[in-house]
Amino acid sequence: MSEATTEPAMGRFLANLREIPKTFRESFVRGGAPTTDRTRSSFVFGNVFLHLHAVRTHRWSLRWSTTAGLGIVSVAAFLITLITGVLLMFYYKPYPDAAYVSIKDIHFVVPTGRFIRNIHRWAANVMVVAVLLHMARVFFTGAYRKPREFNWLVGMGLLVITLGLSFTGYLLPWDQLAYWAITIGANIAQSPQEVTDALKITQYFDPGGMQRLLLLGSSDVGEEALIRFFLLHVMILPLALVALLGVHMWRVRKDGGIARPDDADARLGPPPADTYPVFTEAPQKTYQIATIVKGRTPAVGKGPENTVPSMPHLFYAEMGVAMLTVLVCVALALVSDAPLKELANPNVPENPAKAPWYFLGLQELVAYSAFMGGIGIPSIVLIGLGLIPYLDREKEGTGLWFGGPGGVPLVILSTVYGFGTALALEAFAIRFGWIRQWWPDVPQLVITALNPGTVLTALYAGFSIWAVKKWGSTRAGALALFTCFLCGFILLTIVGEHFRGPNWVFYWSPSEWPGH
Amino acid sequence: MKKNKHLLLWSSLGVLALLVVAAVQENFFKEWRRHQLRAASQAEGGVDIKLRQVVVPSLNVMDRCVSCHVGMAPGEPAVAGDKVLAAHKPVVHDPAEFGCTVCHGGQGRATDREDAHGEEGHYWPEPMIPAKYAEAGCGTCHTHIEVPNYELVRRGEKLVERYDCLACHALDGRGGTLRPLGAAAVTSPDLTYVGVRGYDAQWYEKHIARRAAAADGPWHASFGEIAESDLAALKVLLDSRVGTPRLVEAKALFHTLGCRGCHKIGGVGGEDGPDLTREGEKDPGLADFTHVPGPRSLEGWFKEHFRAPATVVPGSKMPEFSLTAEQIDLLTLYMFSLRRSDLPEAYWPKDRIKVVRFGASEFSRDGETLYGTFCASCHGTAGQGMRFAGMTAFPAVASEGFLSLASDRFIAETIRKGRPGRRMAGWGHANGMTDEEIGRVVAHIRALGGGVAPVEPEDVAQRLGGNKARGAALYGEHCSVCHGKAGEGGEGTALNNRVLLATATDKYMAETIRLGRPGTSMPTFGMASTVRPALAPDEIASIVAHIRSWEVAR
Amino acid sequence: MTTMSKSSRLDPEPMPRRDFLGLAAMWAMGASAAFALLGMLRLPRAAVLPAPSKKFKVALPESLADGEPFVPAGRSVALFKDKEGVYAVSTVCTHLGCIVKQSADGFACPCHGSEFNKDGTVKKGPAPKALPWLAVTKDGGAFVVDEGKVVDPGTRLA
Repeated sequence: MSEATTEPAMGRFLANLREIPKTFRESFVRGGAPTTDRTRSSFVFGNVFLHLHAVRTHRWSLRWSTTAGLGIVSVAAFLITLITGVLLMFYYKPYPDAAYVSIKDIHFVVPTGRFIRNIHRWAANVMVVAVLLHMARVFFTGAYRKPREFNWLVGMGLLVITLGLSFTGYLLPWDQLAYWAITIGANIAQSPQEVTDALKITQYFDPGGMQRLLLLGSSDVGEEALIRFFLLHVMILPLALVALLGVHMWRVRKDGGIARPDDADARLGPPPADTYPVFTEAPQKTYQIATIVKGRTPAVGKGPENTVPSMPHLFYAEMGVAMLTVLVCVALALVSDAPLKELANPNVPENPAKAPWYFLGLQELVAYSAFMGGIGIPSIVLIGLGLIPYLDREKEGTGLWFGGPGGVPLVILSTVYGFGTALALEAFAIRFGWIRQWWPDVPQLVITALNPGTVLTALYAGFSIWAVKKWGSTRAGALALFTCFLCGFILLTIVGEHFRGPNWVFYWSPSEWPGH
Repeated sequence: MKKNKHLLLWSSLGVLALLVVAAVQENFFKEWRRHQLRAASQAEGGVDIKLRQVVVPSLNVMDRCVSCHVGMAPGEPAVAGDKVLAAHKPVVHDPAEFGCTVCHGGQGRATDREDAHGEEGHYWPEPMIPAKYAEAGCGTCHTHIEVPNYELVRRGEKLVERYDCLACHALDGRGGTLRPLGAAAVTSPDLTYVGVRGYDAQWYEKHIARRAAAADGPWHASFGEIAESDLAALKVLLDSRVGTPRLVEAKALFHTLGCRGCHKIGGVGGEDGPDLTREGEKDPGLADFTHVPGPRSLEGWFKEHFRAPATVVPGSKMPEFSLTAEQIDLLTLYMFSLRRSDLPEAYWPKDRIKVVRFGASEFSRDGETLYGTFCASCHGTAGQGMRFAGMTAFPAVASEGFLSLASDRFIAETIRKGRPGRRMAGWGHANGMTDEEIGRVVAHIRALGGGVAPVEPEDVAQRLGGNKARGAALYGEHCSVCHGKAGEGGEGTALNNRVLLATATDKYMAETIRLGRPGTSMPTFGMASTVRPALAPDEIASIVAHIRSWEVAR
Repeated sequence: MTTMSKSSRLDPEPMPRRDFLGLAAMWAMGASAAFALLGMLRLPRAAVLPAPSKKFKVALPESLADGEPFVPAGRSVALFKDKEGVYAVSTVCTHLGCIVKQSADGFACPCHGSEFNKDGTVKKGPAPKALPWLAVTKDGGAFVVDEGKVVDPGTRLA
């Protein structure tokens, strides 16, 4: 002590030195350990990663049946691909032939390389599935409605980027599978020429050729294309995805959390004994700021706030789902190796050359018209999806599965109709062929306009209009249309995946393919 | 919340368990680890357990074969007698300097058996050359020059046995036990690589002198005089010894059966069949195995294809040659050897440079080998002609009837120019034969025919002077069925062929009509048969005159 | 903290002190993450190096004078021949790995000025130790130098 008085600065120094563990912890976590509601709240909003969440979460949102955790599955799968992808970049060389060999090295000699590549591949597939299911969940629970219209559009952007990430990753191994899938993909990008050629204006206006050139950087799939796809895969698309994902999650919070029905509190019943939800008394809410700030305060005026602290309730839920996702990806990675066929050979096409599974539905349509299957119908579908929240502005059924007019019976009917028409049309086209087989001289424009894809789209649209009239509700129309397209997508994907063999000929099973 | 805690707990524990499984798999159950563990316990001094590879940047080689075959890794101990861990047998090229895949094929990047060996479904794209055809690996770099006809090689091999050269000399791993100068003295030279390393041209004279000098002992007892013709055959054999006896036999057989009549290798050969220059690098993943029984291996494909070409490759024009199992085996070996990989030129051996850069021949240029190289597949190894199902017959060229009528000039011209439009190609072009070589082939054909004397060349312009109109009627009656209404050919020769008309004399045609062509469907019109009377000489002359009319027309 | 009353609206739910399930879940997650991290850390450490063999074969020129260095093209080794035999000295500077150049009476490093005698011993500069001698073996008429194997200075192949 005497030292401290004689040399106060030195004494402070020693005391500070002793207290480093404590002061470091305090500087790291603000507000102390999350043991009380107050410290938990500060733990959430004081943390750069956690503060995307609200401090408190409604009990409705935490029910497993509300979201099935699909959004978190998507994010978790993305994070897994991000981590494993960065690891793979230690060894991957984005140059033709060298790329293939480097993947072989990853497979055979890089420590844990094969496992990590398998996880990357499976997490990518899980992500595509999860994103699609997440969208279906949001649609069927009517969660796209006001005030969440814009977030629905952001989500569609995320879907497109997810598919783009998956597709660009497809080329990187530079094997036969990759090479020919990308060749087909690039030609789909070029397919507006089908229309411009038919109109004889390609030499003046050629958006298709421009798209293909932009994508490949050359007239063929070669080193330029590989570098571009690599850049898209590891830089542009992930950055875009992270940015949009931030917006998406932020909007979830700003739009009032997960959509729930107005009578959610009544449906939830009394809280379990071990939770202590807060019942905010409505008059205690201050209105002054809310009236000044333009916008919505969704909690206001809705009676008791049936919420629990996000930390730890939401935290356990999210971490649990994330770890479950990891578990699934790791298990799949252990069971099945990511494919790697022969080195890309520009002279010998794969037969059949199949796109990644989620594009096989489109490839099935492309077999009739490249433009309609590859660009026309996907554009129609995307535009249609984007318009749904702006066309369906009803309130009934928000937050409930298959909620709204029509409900479950309409969804069942739409499922039957969606599968039935697609199956009938496919069976007809496979059995009897299509226009070109009957009248070989028919102009291409006729086939572009009239092919199984467009016919199916028209049939679905007609059914949807019928549903609007029958139930007198735009929600019914949306339910019918979305369900039909989902069924059509699933059916065409199955046909493309399992029933198409060499030369895109119909086979009952891949074991019947000739020469193999 | 309890549900979610359980979810987190059990998912995390599951992940942990699976990661442990993955770690165990990664660290203990890799195939190469098992082999190295065995080597560690069995090999003298043991080995470190780690991945190994041979890297040769200039050959683009990164071969991990030595991760399992650890006894072949440079400086590592081997386990004798073990299939995987044995040492490499001593070879000319050090595996540490060349890697493994350059010679053996296969996928050096792989570290498990199926992928490395390129077993069924795992070729990406190069399977390993089967061990029994290992000699084929030399074909990656080497093109052994001037291989003689198979018969010549076999003759030499038999002479080596007959004269018992193997008593003192080792050859291809056999013989060399006797030491004429005593056990302590140097052994007699090993003849295995004598074709590359060269030998004393005076060896026979020196042997004779040694024998004369020795009063008794092995020199006196075991060396005898050798006939002049046998010496020539032995020279052929010695020149062909490059350490790959089977491959030389295989290549010799290829140049005996006339395969180059249809197939090009290195730019030399016919055009009816596919170019075979890199046939050994064929990707089995792209081959059609629909009609090939057994496992999907290149070996199986080649063998079945030699057995029944048109079955394996639908629409193939290649006939069935009724090859023996031994011949099929040799030809399969030769197919595997056709690799000619794109190596840096610094690695090219002299033989390949000679062939690719200086146009040296891959086969001997004697009449017998040339005939075997280009002609035998159609006209028969003995000149007997060939008849294949679904094809017009190929005429006999060694028949007495033909040789007694055809002048050397006629045969040589036909070889040089061929028969345009028919399957007989002309061989006088730059990649075929020189006039002198064609002369040797003609001489060989005469030898095959039993030495029928050559006919004096006559003036092609000389005419027999028959009646064209009458000839036309007779032609329509007797000849057009086989030779076509306008002489375009069918079962029989095309008679309106401009090379035939330019090279054949009237007399040759008339005599052929009169005497026919034994071995083909051409009957003897000079003698009456049950279905028609004999043609008189003036009738035959008229037919010839009719045939000559196409000369003008064309 | 446990003494805090439940009645406060802001702190109605104190964390139970012994939440076994929650802690077990957290620790399990942490353990699997840590194990995964260990696995990931293994990846960047290559199991095999794509470098060619450190051994190479070299033939000495006939005209090589005793005690004169011979540096084979593309290699960082100087071979010497004298009455006692042949030996090889590495030309990689022991300071920071530059390739030393031949100087009038030994080697000089261009990077930081180290100088060495012909037998590799340090004459000047920051180099901490002598240039190592490398193993030489005979193979037919040629010599095989193993750049990966250091031998005691003075070891010659007779």
